[in-house]
Amino acid sequence: MTMLREQLLRRKPTAAGGEDYGLKRSIGLFALTMIGVGATIGTGIFYVLSSAVPTAGPAVIWSFVIGGAVAGVTALCYAELAGAVPVSGSTYSYAYATLGEAPAMGVAACLLLEYGVSTAGVAVGWSQYVNELLDNLFGWRIPPELSNAPEQGGILNLPAVIVIVLCALLLLRGTGESAVVNAVMVVVKLGVLVFFVAVALTGWNADHFADFAPAGFQGIVAGAGIIFFSFVGLDAVSTAGGEAKNPKRNLPIAIVLALVIVVTAYVVVAITAVGAQAPEQFDGQTAGLSVILESIIGASWPGTIVAAGAVISIFSVTLVVLYGQTRILFAMSRDGMVPPVFSKLNPRTLAPGRNTMIVAAVVSVLAAVVPINFLLEMTSIGTLVAFLVVSVAVIILRRREPDIERGFTLPLHPLIPILSILGCIWIITQLRPITIVVFAIWTVAFLVFYWFYGRTHSALARPAGSGPDVPFTSTIRNAPEGKR
Amino acid sequence: MKILVAVNPVQRSVAVLDLAAMLARSADAELIVAAVLPVGWQPLARRTDGEWLGHLGESADVVLDHAASVLAGLKASFVQRSAKSAHRGIVDLIEEHSPDIVVVGSSSSGAIGRIAIGSVNGALLHASPVPVAIAPRGFRAGASVRIRRLTAAYGGSDAARDLVISAARVAADIGSRLRLASFAVGPEGSVTAGVGLEAERDIAEEWIRMMDESVDEVLSEVSEMVGAPQLDDAVVGVGDSWAHAMDDVTWTPEDVLVIGSSSLGPVARVFVGSNATKVLRSSPVPAIVVPRGGLR
Repeated sequence: MTMLREQLLRRKPTAAGGEDYGLKRSIGLFALTMIGVGATIGTGIFYVLSSAVPTAGPAVIWSFVIGGAVAGVTALCYAELAGAVPVSGSTYSYAYATLGEAPAMGVAACLLLEYGVSTAGVAVGWSQYVNELLDNLFGWRIPPELSNAPEQGGILNLPAVIVIVLCALLLLRGTGESAVVNAVMVVVKLGVLVFFVAVALTGWNADHFADFAPAGFQGIVAGAGIIFFSFVGLDAVSTAGGEAKNPKRNLPIAIVLALVIVVTAYVVVAITAVGAQAPEQFDGQTAGLSVILESIIGASWPGTIVAAGAVISIFSVTLVVLYGQTRILFAMSRDGMVPPVFSKLNPRTLAPGRNTMIVAAVVSVLAAVVPINFLLEMTSIGTLVAFLVVSVAVIILRRREPDIERGFTLPLHPLIPILSILGCIWIITQLRPITIVVFAIWTVAFLVFYWFYGRTHSALARPAGSGPDVPFTSTIRNAPEGKR
Repeated sequence: MKILVAVNPVQRSVAVLDLAAMLARSADAELIVAAVLPVGWQPLARRTDGEWLGHLGESADVVLDHAASVLAGLKASFVQRSAKSAHRGIVDLIEEHSPDIVVVGSSSSGAIGRIAIGSVNGALLHASPVPVAIAPRGFRAGASVRIRRLTAAYGGSDAARDLVISAARVAADIGSRLRLASFAVGPEGSVTAGVGLEAERDIAEEWIRMMDESVDEVLSEVSEMVGAPQLDDAVVGVGDSWAHAMDDVTWTPEDVLVIGSSSLGPVARVFVGSNATKVLRSSPVPAIVVPRGGLR
């Protein structure tokens, strides 16, 4: 029994350092903030209103504030964890180094939702705007049979599949997203939203706010569950923390700044959208932001601009999330948690080719046949549970290893992790029961897979040692470089 | 062994001559130094371009005289040739003299110390039936420098394996050591993906591990050859650009890089693939580009 416990809770030793190839990036406060804004905006605001407004009414504004607050405290917890554990990678890597193998696999199950399923959701959102753009520019739409999931009366969502395939091809060529590209995308995204607000204000009608919270507080919180998807990505700031200048100061400031910018943008967009369109018209709308502008102006050009901006920015988001998924699976494959096919590289381009193709194929199927609401909710629950684990890890780490060097220490401990845990649980309970059930089934299935595969194939099982009590300390940071 | 050296008829360049001399000393070869001049334009019946052609001829004489002085002590002959284009003239000379290798310089518009591909050497890189050696801009080799080490650029493919084998034979022939080098530019990564900015470092490490395995196989094959050359440790260079990747390994003035042709090109002709071109352009040492089928 003890052995099994040791096996399930074995932690990956942290040996940072390694070798650097190329220039070491040194990221300042502004660039960090841009990473937070760029990673967050563009994932949800372009299409969450059509499901959130029917639930919360105009009070969806408060849903954004609540969602943002929860995302903010969890991102701060993540920042402490990332600064304390000398590993680089996703939440999976942090969980593996702090909580152990089995919890890390639980997190991995969540991350497959936060990344893989989210890629599908984002791609479906892209298909809405690409259809709007085609219609406005050429007067032609992809027929509904080929742009809707079966549940919505279609056969499959072809544009969503196409965008995933395009992104996969770019990744196979080794394309990435530099800080400069990100900055450009931030400008595009914010520019489109500012344009939307400016035009939507001309159609302002205060009467739309008459029934501000039709479903009361309950509706607002349920809305927060729906829109939480649009805050996924705020945690990217923390994972960049290892290369940040003066992380103690800049990391929390960047997270808070990014959060303020993002929440402000969302709230302003939500207010003007509701001001421009009666709340009952939101239900089931596709390419919502474009349609709203078109009905105010009575011409298609403002909708075209928004649709074009959305098509560009959602494309970049799809690329990034798909990339993230391939790299998480790559790391897991190297750890022996998933089969080695996920870490095979193409020697010419250095892209993990089969990994990328498998992920793209699976995600394409999801995007083709699953409706967007469900994809977004699965993404939300995966992200929330991963965040929850991060917050728990912060508390555990404070108790177990109070003296390690932390890049950034949360004030008022343990208030913020506890707030984060409660906030995540609160929003999770607002999601549809079907989402929670599917999530539970998925996580259990993934852990069963771990039981039969990862537990025995683990890279930690190969060499001796590395029991659960191997401490890591900040001195490991200066470990000698690995062999070349 | 015969080495064809193609010199620019209007510009004295020491780089190409020094490389030719270094090769000739190492392989004990005879040099044919050729200056290719343009042909006159036939429709100009009154030979209004005569003066210009005369000037080119004189200039080529100066260049070849200079070459003779640089190559003093080596067995060398000097020719002038007229052709419709420089690379066509060089290919004609290759067919005529059937040299074992042709030596050219870099384009004059490149960074000093690196190989620059221009119109003439670029065309040769896609048409030469024999290996092409290219000197970096400003290359210099002392009067007694020989090739001490051939570095075979190894990309992991079967064609690359064949190249290593033929480079090993040449290294054995000229008494130099052989080293395998693999180069890669790490993918860009993504700042907003939330998987850490060092995700690509793991990719690079995995690639290095992968190359190590495949290099071990090739090296054991080489060491089983009869008269195998002395082997140096295989090296990998990874960087955020090809130039950085190349600079990631150490180079000496007695190094020569050997690059294989793309397996996509026509059979038995030099044809440089996209990654090989980048390695070539970033090479700080002279490079020999070998057609499929190998060095002779």
